[in-house]
Amino acid sequence: MSDCHDGCNGGRREFLAGTLKLAGGAVVTVIGGSALASSSSSPTSAPRPGGGEYDWNEHLWAYLIDTTKCIGCGSCARACKAENDVPDGFFRTWIERYVVGNEDSHVDSPNGGMDGFPPVQVGFVANKSFFVPKICNHCRATPCTQVCPVGASYRTKDGAVLVDAESCIGCGYCVQACPYGSRFIHPATHTASKCTWCYHRITRGLKPACVTVCPTQARQFGDLKKDGDPVRAVIEHDRVQILQGHLLTEPQCYYTHLDKEVR
Amino acid sequence: MEHGKHVFRIVILVAVILAVVLLARGFLVPKTYGLYGRYRGANVAQQMNARPVLHGGAAACAECHSDQSVKRAAGSHRSVSCEICHAPLGAHILADGSVVKPPIDRSFTLCARCHRKMAARPAKFPQVDLDQHVSGPVEGKVCLECHDPHSPKT
Repeated sequence: MSDCHDGCNGGRREFLAGTLKLAGGAVVTVIGGSALASSSSSPTSAPRPGGGEYDWNEHLWAYLIDTTKCIGCGSCARACKAENDVPDGFFRTWIERYVVGNEDSHVDSPNGGMDGFPPVQVGFVANKSFFVPKICNHCRATPCTQVCPVGASYRTKDGAVLVDAESCIGCGYCVQACPYGSRFIHPATHTASKCTWCYHRITRGLKPACVTVCPTQARQFGDLKKDGDPVRAVIEHDRVQILQGHLLTEPQCYYTHLDKEVR
Repeated sequence: MEHGKHVFRIVILVAVILAVVLLARGFLVPKTYGLYGRYRGANVAQQMNARPVLHGGAAACAECHSDQSVKRAAGSHRSVSCEICHAPLGAHILADGSVVKPPIDRSFTLCARCHRKMAARPAKFPQVDLDQHVSGPVEGKVCLECHDPHSPKT
């Protein structure tokens, strides 16, 4: 009797465990399947966003920075702040000053370079110094969208990495995931914010504000799908560099004349 | 027979959980989610119209101010955007079409942001050693007293 009791119980436990596992699997499959079905529902047949003249299938944007041309005036960071109403103390683009010697190096970016750069004293023998404009790299394989738990971060078909502030829950995972420090939590909305390549401008045929005001053409913006585009020509034929290539994020912000100290 | 009863209960339980999950999903997942990918498709159009265009570029300024823009184009400030010193176009022509006088930056700090001598600037870029300028130390002085910003060499 006792044997049967134990045996029956064991059998029931196994049976229940097995059934629950099966049921769990079924739920996951159904939910996963429905999510997949909805996300892959023939994107080409969907009407293009905006409904205007702009067709995002005809463009693939890329950014190009020549560090030897940057004079560190900060006009880009100021224009960005004005154009995009970026809150004080936060930056969608900024300029870094590097002072490099054989023994050591120094990097600073006072107020993002917006007010220019005061003279700097370093405690080592400096061999060279230069400015490096920084901006969101709009990576093709970006970690920031991969970690978003609610699908608020995404990359558009024309190559811009954007944040849907309505969906964003402000968890900050993307801020931590970005290896370039390009994202921040907006102090008023408490959602993630970042450079959009001025998506409201580029979809109207204008350049991003930072490129528009750059007095030395250190910053350039181009279209990899447009024949004869000067930025495309440089990226396709010259020797260009990217930041932190070992991370395999495939940045779409390219640099020429980048120093080894720049990350 | 007894096992059959248990199977029935579990099947009902699973069905109820499934129904609740699918119902909740229907309410919680935004309508345009998945239209283009794993994000809310409607946001792309929202981003396109997120804000008014503020910076118009030098060509937009030249439409009305051709005299200044011709002068500027002939001088060494030809690649300096009007909006760096004259504030963005959006601060001059407002969204409702009205025209207001934009704030003009005539400060020393504006000029110094580009031209203060600094090791980090490209060597070929014109820079001023503020202590040893031709007119003596000029830190904090108004550069525009001597220099015409639209054609700074003159």
